This record gives sequence, structure tokens and C-alpha cells, in this order.
Amino acid sequence: MSVQVLLIDDDQDFLNILSERLMIRDMDVTTVSSATEAFTLVESRPFDVIILDLQMPEIDGLQALERFKAINADLQVILLTGHATVAKGVQAMKLGAADVLEKPVDIRVLTEKIKKTQAQTTAGLRGGEQNTTASSSDRGMSGNISRLIQGIQKRFKKN
Amino acid sequence: MIRFQGTANTLGLLFCGTMTASMSHEIKNALAIVNENAGLLDDLILLSEKGRPLNPERLKTLAGDIRRQVQRADSIVGRLNRFAHSAGQPVTTTDIKEILEFTAALAARMAAMKGVTITVADTTILLQARPFIVENLLWLCLKHLFAMSTGNQTVQLGAESADSHVVIGIQFDEGVAVEEIGKLVTQEGQPLIVALQADVSVDAHRHLIQLTLPKKFEE
Repeated sequence: MSVQVLLIDDDQDFLNILSERLMIRDMDVTTVSSATEAFTLVESRPFDVIILDLQMPEIDGLQALERFKAINADLQVILLTGHATVAKGVQAMKLGAADVLEKPVDIRVLTEKIKKTQAQTTAGLRGGEQNTTASSSDRGMSGNISRLIQGIQKRFKKN
Repeated sequence: MIRFQGTANTLGLLFCGTMTASMSHEIKNALAIVNENAGLLDDLILLSEKGRPLNPERLKTLAGDIRRQVQRADSIVGRLNRFAHSAGQPVTTTDIKEILEFTAALAARMAAMKGVTITVADTTILLQARPFIVENLLWLCLKHLFAMSTGNQTVQLGAESADSHVVIGIQFDEGVAVEEIGKLVTQEGQPLIVALQADVSVDAHRHLIQLTLPKKFEE
């Protein structure tokens, strides 16, 4: 069964093109242009991974992430952002984001993250760890934060 | 006025920082779409190598999409360039409508994020001032509105002539805490108000903040 992806971005052009590319990679993609629409959707059907823009009108990505986790703590959310900052990245990981990626994103990296996130969810469910997202997030958090900080440090060194 | 210069410059620096961050974000979004379009072209070529025929119409659409995003980014870069140059612009005579429209364009993305629509009334009045400082003061009004916005709001920028002065009006929707915004703008924007020899007043009944500036700037 293909990976069920919910893609949320207020830029319709970005939604169209990224969803087409993910579908070519055998993913089942649903797109919405606001977090509000997404809240209704996630309550009515399951998604393996949610890809969420950090900066959106009305409700921003971090607020939306919090709400998704309140609806279902097991929802896996990858945040996409135009400009990643350490503070926002750390906040996102603390709120339980599976990862934070910067735009423009390499499709191979995104695909890999989606598959890895889905595999973790499946493994967690198989191991009877449903509804223990807080602890599994905690386990992955330091690694993810340190990767984010390392990435930013590398970029500073390059510049 | 000299003692306010430092703080006016500090406010100007904050204004520059906010605007360049917003515009660079917009450019990044356009580049992200160009990146995905280029990637999709790669995908389609790979698929054609595996036997799926290339659809010329799809390729035309992709080329058009890329062109559109390049135009979008170019327009943002043009705005950014104009803004960067305006920071050092001396006192000059400008049509107030140009200043209002440019400020609205600068704030458009942040307005959209907060569910605010900015409109500019049609008006032609010549004003002698440093446009950058006028834009900065207008931005403070918009910034405080955005901070309080709960979405679905409109704000209209306009101006009218009053003898030797220009009165810029920032008209808010009913229910907006216009007195609070006026208070914040007067406090935070004091160095700009002094630098422009302006006056800020609030008409709560009309949901209006008025910035009164002399048409002719006296050094």
C-alpha cells in the first residue's frame, strides 16, 4: 500500500508541483492550502506523514503542529520552511515534529525522510507503542536538533 | 531633532530587517517552485527513458510555470532593490500615492499571513519628505494592526490635502483597537514623528489614525 501523505502549503503552485513529484514516487498525496482544512481531514482519515509549511496565513506551522499532535499524538509531521532558524527548529522538534527541512528541498532527501518516518510509525505500531509518541519523539529529538544545528554551523563555515 | 536621529536610524534598521527577511522568504518560495519544476522535468525525462512518452503540452506548461516564477522573483527583487535604495534617499518631493502603494506592497505578504487586506485610495498630493521615514511610520501602524489581527480585516491607506499639510489616513475596520494602535505608534515611532515634523491623531469613531505632515519639509 502506498504511503498516505498530506501536503499543506498556502502556495498552490508549490502544492501542485510537489504533489505530482511525490505521486510519481508512488505516494498517495492529498493537498490542502490551509491548516484549518487539514484539521478536519486528519480527523476523518489516516495519514502516514503530514508535510507542513512553517509559515502560513491564519495558523502558522508550529501552531498547526501542536494542534495535529493534540488531535492524534501519533501523527508524523515533517515541517518545510523557507528559512530554518535554530530556535524554530528546536521548538518544532520539542513539539514533536519528525523533521524540519529547508526549501528548496531535494526530493531524494524528502522521499527518504517520508519513508523513514512511515517505517518508524509502522515499527512503533507493530511493537505496541501506539500513543507513546512523546517518548519516541524525545528519543529522536536530540539527534534531530543536533543535525539541524550542525547543518547551520556548516553553512556558517561555508559563508 | 538630532538627539532622535540615533533612534530613528535604529527604527530604520529594524524596518529594513523585517522587510528584507520577508522579501527573501518570498524569493525563497519562488525558487523552491522553480526547483520543483526543474525536478519534475528530470522525473519526466527519466520516465520517458523507461518508455512513458513525453507530453509536449505538459512540457510547455512547465516552461510557462518556471517563467512565471522567475517573473515573480524578479518583481520581488525589484521591490527589494527599490527599498534598499530608499533607505539612503534624502528629502525629496514624491506623490504620496507612490509612498502608500509601495508601503502596501512591502507589507502585502505579512498582511496576507495575518488575514489582512491593504487597499490604497486614489489620491495625488505632492509631499516633500524622506519617503523611507514615511514608509517606516506607516509600517509601524500596520505592524501593530497585524499583531492584533484575528483575520478577515481590511485597512485602507489614503491621503488628503489640508492647506500646507498632507493628512495620511489609515482606516481600520470597526472593532479594531485603533486607540491602542495609535498609542503604540506614537510611543514607538516618536523619533520618526519628530524627524518628519509630523503629528499623529486618532479618531476612534471613524476607526482612523491620521498622520499629518507638512507638504514642505523645513530643514
